[in-house]
Amino acid sequence: MNVLESGVGEFRFTDPDELRAWMRDEKRREFVDKTITEQEAVGRFVKDGDYISFDFSSFTRGPLSLIREIIRQRKRDLWYSAKFTLMESTLLVGAGLCSRIDVGFMGLGETLNRAVEAGAVKVTEWTNGTLTLRHLAGAMGLPFLPTRALLGSDTLKYSGAKVVEDPYTGRPIALVPAVSPDVGLVHVHQADVYGNARCFGPGVSPLETATASKRVIISTDEIIDHEEIRKDPGRTTIPYYLVDAVVFAPFGAYPGGTPGLYEIDYEHYAEYNALEGQGKITEYLEKYVWSVASHEEMLEKRVGLARLNAMKRRATIKEGYR
Amino acid sequence: MTRDDTDAEVMITLCARLLEDQKIAFIGFGMPQVVAMLAQRLHAPQLVQVFEFGAIGPMPLTPFIRNTMGGSANCYRSLAWTNMNTIFAQAQLGLVDYGVLGATQVDLYGNVNSTMLGEDYARPKRRFPGSGGANEVTSYCWKTIIVMMHEGRRFVPRVDFITSPGYLDGTPGARERAGLPADTGPWRVVTSKALFGFDDATKKLTLTGVLEGLTPEAVLEGMEMKPLIAERVEVLAPPTSEELRILREEIDPARAITGRSAK
Repeated sequence: MNVLESGVGEFRFTDPDELRAWMRDEKRREFVDKTITEQEAVGRFVKDGDYISFDFSSFTRGPLSLIREIIRQRKRDLWYSAKFTLMESTLLVGAGLCSRIDVGFMGLGETLNRAVEAGAVKVTEWTNGTLTLRHLAGAMGLPFLPTRALLGSDTLKYSGAKVVEDPYTGRPIALVPAVSPDVGLVHVHQADVYGNARCFGPGVSPLETATASKRVIISTDEIIDHEEIRKDPGRTTIPYYLVDAVVFAPFGAYPGGTPGLYEIDYEHYAEYNALEGQGKITEYLEKYVWSVASHEEMLEKRVGLARLNAMKRRATIKEGYR
Repeated sequence: MTRDDTDAEVMITLCARLLEDQKIAFIGFGMPQVVAMLAQRLHAPQLVQVFEFGAIGPMPLTPFIRNTMGGSANCYRSLAWTNMNTIFAQAQLGLVDYGVLGATQVDLYGNVNSTMLGEDYARPKRRFPGSGGANEVTSYCWKTIIVMMHEGRRFVPRVDFITSPGYLDGTPGARERAGLPADTGPWRVVTSKALFGFDDATKKLTLTGVLEGLTPEAVLEGMEMKPLIAERVEVLAPPTSEELRILREEIDPARAITGRSAK
């Protein structure tokens, strides 16, 4: 295939045969109870230098309790897949733990932009769509997928995409390399102990993220009986064999919402925005991450039942979410 | 009659008037959401909004609340809840009629920059959040509408970085030569003072309408680029009392989006 142009951005890539061998050897087919604490899950499955991906967003059904645990355990030199990111990447960079970002869209506030200007974080340009397509390629066991996005743009020049002559039409087409994250983090509405998981509502790429990733940590607002999964298989989003750990995390998306269960905590975002705007991310992290031992302790000591109940109270729309 | 509308209300209204009923429109985060809600409450009740995270055809509840785009109120009564790969594939396939986007900076050929300012990519003077889904929207949708505050520095001869493709260098067929889908590209730029299109031959930004009470000269003053001026420049009616009522009472009583004016 005739390569017409190559982006100069660095990117993560796993050879599809290596990935197949991983899937054969590491993804357990046995039905075993995978419920563990967030401390154990992050401690066991997240390493310094890992490439991390997530679903959905920091406002809606995002794995925020797991992100905070990664920060609490100070996993370093992370490469973050910012395919729809707002708060999580800002917190990881603010904590000094993230050294590289694949940019779809980054940041809530200016922390990340300033970090890039200062050279503290290296970025590779992509788009929300092409980063997500890279996950689909990973999830399909393919080395790349073609797309008609990126073409003609400087985004392509600073990405890891290539433009080739399409052998069928003869026209230029962009190819994006597969990505298989070291760790995929997905927050879901319901899961059984084996990791069969359901998420309701739209999402960026819960299944692609879980399928493409070498290790998958699910956090779930509810644990349900395995029989419930078998009674209504059309609602399963992620099958168990993709999943390495199931963390029971009520309000796991906090301060974001999980549709149908609880709406976002506006007060928290106002506090976050104020601190972030004043360059006081460390103060925020101290209060909500480092000074508490767990997600549960944060909810208890820093948020409180009244605010959690208010978030539940606002979640009056149930249709489609159960 | 003295007008008390804000710049944001003007641009939202002018933009909403462009959207047709029973068409499919890709809606970006923030102001485009308010544009689509206003169109749905006026002349386009069955406008099919699609969002990059895969919600198709919602009837968003109001009031509009920032940052909850993927939540239950904004995705209310959708036709389908899919995901990002599905909806961008449908746009790539040619099913999405309009794309509605905000922009940090746009140039004479409609190229959009939301990545960085400066000569050297490695040392940006200012860094911005990047493409998001904007590159896909401008690559795939049949007609892309860019809605932005009328501030001179946002309109430059050449953007420092093409995040999302307009007509590139403006030469005939530039988009198609790059491999982009045929017959796509920026269609309108809506600001708080004017409406622009793109000249068929030169692909240059072209002033086609000015807000009532303004002259073309007044609109173009301060813009760092020099757009063309159409032979006939139409006069655009300011927001009506009904449009303002819907915006202020139903959609955005907190004025989170509609309260803004140019700096």
